[in-house]
Amino acid sequence: MTARNWAEPYKIKMVELIKQTSREDRLKAMREAGYNTFLLRSEDVYIDLLTDSGVGAMSDRQWAGIMMGDEAYAGSRNFYHLRDTVEQYYSYKFTVPCHQGRGAENILSQILISPGDYVPGNMYFTTTRLHQELAGATFVDVIVDEAHDPDSHYPFKGNVDFDKLDALLDEVGADKIPYVCIATCVNMAGGQPISMANLKQLRAWCDKSGIMLVHDMTRVAENAHFIQQREDGYQDTSVRDIVYEICALTDAATMSSKKDAMVNIGGFLAMNDAKFYEKACGLVVVYEGLHTYGGMAGRDMEALSIGITESVQDDHIHARVGQVQYLGRRLRESGIPIVNPIGGHAVFLNATRMLPHIVQDHFPAQALSAALYIESGVRSMERGIVSAGRDKLTGENHKPKLELVRLTIPRRVYTQAHMDVTVGAVEEVMARRDQIKGLRFTYEPEVLRFFQARFEQIV
Amino acid sequence: MLMKTMIEPFRIKMVEPIKLTTREQRERLIKEANYNTFLLAAEDVIIDLLTDSGTSAMSSEGWAAIMRGDESYAGARSWYRFRDTVKDIFGFEQVIPTHQGRAAEHILFGVLVQPGMIVPNNTHFDTTRANVEYNGGVALDLPCAQSRDADSDFPFKGNMDIEALEKVVAQNTAEKIPLIMVTVTNNSGGGQPVSMANIRQISRIARAANIPFYLDACRFAENSHFIKRYEPGFENTAPIDIARELFSYADGCTMSAKKDAFANIGGFLCTNDAQLAHRERNILILTEGFPTYGGLAGRDLDAIAIGLREILDEHYLDYRLDSMRYVVNHLCEAGIPVVTPAGGHAVYIDAGRFLPHIEPLRYPGQALAVELYIEGGIRGVEIGSVMFGLDPHTGVEQPARIELLRLAVPRRVYTQSHMDYLLEAVGAVWARRKQVRGMRIVEAPQFLRHFTAKFERLQ
Repeated sequence: MTARNWAEPYKIKMVELIKQTSREDRLKAMREAGYNTFLLRSEDVYIDLLTDSGVGAMSDRQWAGIMMGDEAYAGSRNFYHLRDTVEQYYSYKFTVPCHQGRGAENILSQILISPGDYVPGNMYFTTTRLHQELAGATFVDVIVDEAHDPDSHYPFKGNVDFDKLDALLDEVGADKIPYVCIATCVNMAGGQPISMANLKQLRAWCDKSGIMLVHDMTRVAENAHFIQQREDGYQDTSVRDIVYEICALTDAATMSSKKDAMVNIGGFLAMNDAKFYEKACGLVVVYEGLHTYGGMAGRDMEALSIGITESVQDDHIHARVGQVQYLGRRLRESGIPIVNPIGGHAVFLNATRMLPHIVQDHFPAQALSAALYIESGVRSMERGIVSAGRDKLTGENHKPKLELVRLTIPRRVYTQAHMDVTVGAVEEVMARRDQIKGLRFTYEPEVLRFFQARFEQIV
Repeated sequence: MLMKTMIEPFRIKMVEPIKLTTREQRERLIKEANYNTFLLAAEDVIIDLLTDSGTSAMSSEGWAAIMRGDESYAGARSWYRFRDTVKDIFGFEQVIPTHQGRAAEHILFGVLVQPGMIVPNNTHFDTTRANVEYNGGVALDLPCAQSRDADSDFPFKGNMDIEALEKVVAQNTAEKIPLIMVTVTNNSGGGQPVSMANIRQISRIARAANIPFYLDACRFAENSHFIKRYEPGFENTAPIDIARELFSYADGCTMSAKKDAFANIGGFLCTNDAQLAHRERNILILTEGFPTYGGLAGRDLDAIAIGLREILDEHYLDYRLDSMRYVVNHLCEAGIPVVTPAGGHAVYIDAGRFLPHIEPLRYPGQALAVELYIEGGIRGVEIGSVMFGLDPHTGVEQPARIELLRLAVPRRVYTQSHMDYLLEAVGAVWARRKQVRGMRIVEAPQFLRHFTAKFERLQ
């Protein structure tokens, strides 16, 4: 056994009971849920790795913040605290709270995009792309090719490929590109970071082209950790300082604080431009709430401010990413095909390799996710052809190169024993993978279909 | 023995200290806030009567529910507890949670309203009107005749004008009227209730014309209790049964749980139409969240479920309505013009009559709000030409129907001493009313201008 270099930098103060179920129970529950893990009841789930969003455990300090909520409709003191915290840790001058990340994306897209625009980004994300499309833009993927190769060990798979970006600029011109959207720790690529060098180059590119740089910052602290671990010159820089440096290279940000900042609800849109802020204030009141609460309870703004300060502590992020690495390494040691390098918030199983007998049109990742639940009560999420949806013009399925099942680790919730059980569950599924059957739709929603789609097994 | 003193059917379990300010400080603070009470920092307010929305005190049971929240992303236990409670009281088939009421309105009107369509309402409230207009619809107010007579003691001044409604329905095809809506209680009209008889008539007209009938239900419990008190035949019916009957006449509702559910955040949308609900959930996923949480933390779903039960307690509702009446009666005795009879959630001072020397487009309601803040640190809100005077599509400004200052009372938050202090402050402004000057708007956005408009005092 190797000596470990981290333990959780906290102890447990409140627990939530979970129940184990029988295989028969789970078979029945999965069938009733149409082979879609989103449609399961949480009480039928043993270990819930569906998402890391909104499911983290708050600290006692954050809970104290919950009790310190100032629920005034206008000018709550929690708002001012949040605004100051965002500026202190993330550099942005203006903050518009939103009930969650997609609320911020909605407002951002409506303000910045005109019909016919193009928005380049380092790989799509489901809700982000849809908001861009609804505002009339086309998303263009400018991530490096390595991001699409699950076996490449390239350390910064979140990087932008400037050849792709230049090609787009040449083709459509700067007038048609309202902003470049850059995600830190790219979710759909497997939680992969962008390097500081790449981001600096992007900043220079944006300055030269006169194009705004917008930061999807939901997992910025995890990205900062990878920069500290992997990029020359940052070994002795704190995560807190790296986070600030990343943010300061960008002009505006959307944040789902349900990830890094370990709150159950909330998010914000932040920027440095006063005119942009005024427009956002005018729009947030239509969709979210007055600009000093934006659809968040005062208490949730307070918990968020405290969560931001906790999220950039080196010990915290070391243990957080360490747990994900532990799960990933153990799976890899068992011969399970996973996306490399192991990401910051999740381990992604390579469903194409695990289930080579199921063609992509029969949704191998969806089938694998269902099988894993039936085997063990572990809930995971499909991140493949079902999530990718259909092309808005041709109506054909997008066919992503990555057909993955995401085991997403909530922050500060599960122990090493839970991780060990998860490894055992995946091993079991791997052992009898030949019996897993493909799926077909019995119900396919028009938008963001993965959330509510229903399937049946192809016999 | 029957006591004359009205007591709160609860005792205090948690307090929030109030910071006191001097008159000089307040003169400076309101100037810095550009004479808009929405722009004051909450901690600079002594008694905050800006709104009863999201500002109530939860019970110990409600806080216990906060601790019990299941934050699972999909299928959380909190969702099922919430859904079952809503279905039990409201009776609708489909329940769609949203982060707050305006999001429910946004989704409903986004699905139903197209440019040129007409939405009749007893009186639209600000965000409701904005949502209708944002979709290109015409927000048509049809208040009953009695509502125009400030001195009338008619108990159901919130009623809709049935003849006017019949005329609108006769003159337009059903396709042109996507829904008929009734707000209970009628907030813009003075927090006045709608009678069951009126609801039945509207329902009959709507059903005969095949037009969906919706309730804006945010103060449904207060309205139900007014029916119990003043409508013959309901003396012995429990508020919950009155509420159930009320909803039985409608096809759906929007609800802000920040009012009659004691919640600090949250809302929902209900319908009996499964097809419609399907379309609504597609928008919900995009702008709010997955259908089993809709942008709310699990704990908030649980708190709403508790609040909906508590709000229908008869003793609570007695206390609530009596405490409004207490303030209104004292103002009447002092000769101060106030909307009577007392409404359910707020006291409405008739600013037009309070300050007859200030013409409507010099905003007497706004001027009075500013004076009351300076006098006592009390924050109210104008409901008059600032809120409703500007047509956002034509840019034309016209006087509103009535100029009011609304003093909305948060539920279970302030004591009788706070109300006595309020009476004293209003009396002091009344004594020096002739010196109060009008206001001018310096800067304002197109939609919902009252939230962020900047004002100047006229010389």
